[in-house]
Amino acid sequence: MTVQLKALYLFLAIAALLILVFALAALSTTSSIPANASAASRLRKSFAILLGLVLLAALGLTLPNTPYPRQADVPEKVVFVVAKQFAFGLSETPITTEEQWEAVSSSAPLEIPAGALVEFRVTSFDVNHGFGVYTAGGRLLAQTQAMPGYVNRLRLRLDRPGKYPVLCLELCGMQHHEMRGAFVVR
Amino acid sequence: MDAAMDRIRRVTLVWMITALVLFPAMTLLGYLIRRFQASPTPAAHPEWFYSLLTLHALGMVGTWFVSSMAGVSYLLSRYVRPSPAVSLGAFFGTLAGVVLVCLATVGGFFGAGWYFLFPLPLYPNGAWPAWATALFFGALALLGTSWLVWALDVLRAISQRYSLSAALCLHYLGASTEPEVPPIVLITTVSLIVCISGLVSAVIVLVLFAAHWAGWLNVDALLMKNLTFLFGHTLVNISLYLGLGIVYEVLPGYAGRPWKTNRIVAMAWSSILFLVLFAYFHHLYMDFAQPGWVQTLGQIASYFLSLPAAAVTIFGVLNLIYGASMRWTPASTLFVLGVLGWAIGGVAAVIDATVAVNFVFHNTLWVPAHFHTYFLAGLVFFVLGFIDHLGRELSPGEEPKGLSKFTVALLVVGAYGFVATFYWSGASSVPRRFAAYPDEVMRGAAHARTSLVFIHVFLLGMILYLWMAGRRCVRALFS
Ligand code: HEM
Ligand SMILES: [Cu+2]
Repeated sequence: MTVQLKALYLFLAIAALLILVFALAALSTTSSIPANASAASRLRKSFAILLGLVLLAALGLTLPNTPYPRQADVPEKVVFVVAKQFAFGLSETPITTEEQWEAVSSSAPLEIPAGALVEFRVTSFDVNHGFGVYTAGGRLLAQTQAMPGYVNRLRLRLDRPGKYPVLCLELCGMQHHEMRGAFVVR
Repeated sequence: MDAAMDRIRRVTLVWMITALVLFPAMTLLGYLIRRFQASPTPAAHPEWFYSLLTLHALGMVGTWFVSSMAGVSYLLSRYVRPSPAVSLGAFFGTLAGVVLVCLATVGGFFGAGWYFLFPLPLYPNGAWPAWATALFFGALALLGTSWLVWALDVLRAISQRYSLSAALCLHYLGASTEPEVPPIVLITTVSLIVCISGLVSAVIVLVLFAAHWAGWLNVDALLMKNLTFLFGHTLVNISLYLGLGIVYEVLPGYAGRPWKTNRIVAMAWSSILFLVLFAYFHHLYMDFAQPGWVQTLGQIASYFLSLPAAAVTIFGVLNLIYGASMRWTPASTLFVLGVLGWAIGGVAAVIDATVAVNFVFHNTLWVPAHFHTYFLAGLVFFVLGFIDHLGRELSPGEEPKGLSKFTVALLVVGAYGFVATFYWSGASSVPRRFAAYPDEVMRGAAHARTSLVFIHVFLLGMILYLWMAGRRCVRALFS
C-alpha cells in the first residue's frame, strides 16, 4: 500500500472515531446526567497519557524514515537539476549558465540506470520551485524544493523502467501549472 | 458605563456585518478558482486564477482573523476594557487594506500567493507590473500595522486588570486559583503574544523585501522562507485560538455549566505558547538544506501541539456537554460542530506534519484539504455561531426551528463535501495551486467538478444564514 493510502485510511479512521464520540456526547444531552468532576479528571488523565504514548510511538516509527540523504550511502549517479521559470533542466554535468540551462531543458529526457541510487542536486536560477517526481500514471513518488542559492539533495532508487514526469510543486508564476521536466529510467 | 458598552456593541456589529459581506464574496472567489480547476482544457487566463487565488486566501485569512479578534474583544469587555476607538481605527485600516489588495490583485494581477514567498513577487515574468507588487506590499504594511496596534491595545486592556503572569495563569501551575482568570483572558493573552511575534516577523519580511528590491542587500531565500512561515503559520493558528476563546466563553451558557480555568487548562495554554513557535518548521520539511535537527524539532512540536488540543479543549468541550441540559440553538450547534471540524482538520494536519508523509503530501491538495477543514468547518462555524448568539442577545425573535436546523445542515454538508474532494485529490497526488491539471493528474478536474455541487449547497446555507442572523445584526446596529 502506498504512503498516501495509508495516510488517508488512518485519517478516515480517526475522523470516524471523532464523529462517533461527538455524536454520543451530543446524544447524551437528551438525558441529563449530573457532572462528575473527579471521574472526568481521571478519564482525562488516562486519555492524555495514552495519547502521549501514541504520539511518542508514532514519532519513533516515523522519524527514522525521513527522505534526507544519509552520509553512509554513496550515490551511484549524480544528476544536476536547475529549475527556472518555467521548466526543469536536468544534466549529468553541472549547469552554471543560462545557455547551458537552455540547452538541457529543451533536449531529450536524461536517462538514468534502473536500480541505481541516484542523487538529484536540485537548485533554482530564479524563484522557488518544487521538484516533484511522478510516475507516468500520475502518482507522486518523491519531491524536494528547488530554492535559489541552495542545493537540495534528493536520493532515489527507481527500479521500474519508463518515463518519469516531473511537475513543479511550488507556486512560481503564471505558468506554474505547465512547468515540467522528465527523465527516463532504463 | 452603559454608553461605553453601547459603543463596543456597535463596533462589534460593524465588524460582524463586514465579515458577513466579505465571507460570501471570498467564497464566490473560491468557487471561481475551483471552476478553473474543474475545466479539462488548459487554463485560458491563468493570470485570473493566480490573482484571485491570492485575493481569496488573503481575504479569507484576514476576514477570520479580524472577526475572531472582534468577537473576543467584545466578550472580554465583561472583564476588561479594550478601546472601541482602536478597534474602529483597525476597522478603517482593514477596509483601506482590502481596497488596496483588491486593486493589486484584480486590477494589477498580482498573483504570488497570499504569503508571497520570496523572491516570486519580484519575478513576475511579465504577469503583473511593479506597481501591483508595491501596492500589495503597501496593503500588507497597512493591515499589519492596524492589527498590531489592535492586538497591543487588547493586551493593554488585559494588563490593566491582570499582571502578565496572572493573565498567563502561571499561578494555577502552582496550587493557587486566586485571582480567578477566565479562560478567554488566558487564551487571548497567549494568542496575542504569538500574534505579535508573527506580525513582527511579517514586518521584517517586508523590510528585507524592500532592501532586496532596492539592491541594498542580497537576501537569503531560506531565511525569508523561515520568516514567512513564522508569520503565516502563527497568524493562521492564532485566529483559530481566538475562535476557541469565544467557544470557551459562550458555550458554557448553553450547557448550563461552568468551564473554568484550572491547572490543566493553564498548563495546556502555556505549552501552546511555547510549542506553536516551533511548529511552523513543518512548512520547510521539503527544504532539505534546512538542518536536520530543525526538521525533527518541527515534527515533535507539531505532534505534541495536538496533546493540549485533544486533552484540554476537545476533551473539555465533550465533558462540558456530556449529559448537560443543552440548549441547542444554531449558536451552540455551530460551536460543537466547529470543535469537531477543528479536530478533524487537526488530525489531517498532524498526519501531514510527519516528514515521511509530507514527502508525498507537501503542496498537494491534502494541504488545502486540512486547512479548509479547520477553517470552513471550524473557525467559520465558531464565528457564525458567535454572530447568531450576539444577534439573538441584541435583537430577539425566533424563526422556525426547522429552518435553522436546515441551514446548519446545508452548511455542514456543503463544507464537508467540498473538503472531501480536496482530500481525495491530495491522496491521489494532485498538486495544489494549479490553474489547470496536466494529463497525469487530470482526475483532479473531476474532483473539482464534484466539489462545485457542494459549494452551491454551502452557498445556499449561507444565504439562509444571512437571512436569519445577518438581518438581526443589521437590525441591532440601527436600533
Ligand atoms: C466554501 C468556501 C471556500 C471555497 C469554495 C474555497 C476554495 C478554495 C480553492 C479552490 C483554493 C485553491 C486550492 C488549490 O488549488 O491550492 C483555495 C485556497 C485557499 N483558501 Fe479557500 N475556499 C473556501 C473557504 C476558505 C476559508 C474559510 C478560508 C479561511 C482562511 C480559505 C483560505 C484559503 C487559503 C489560505 C488558500 C490557499 C491559497 C494558496 O495556496 O496560496 N478558504 N480555496
Ligand atoms: Cu515552478
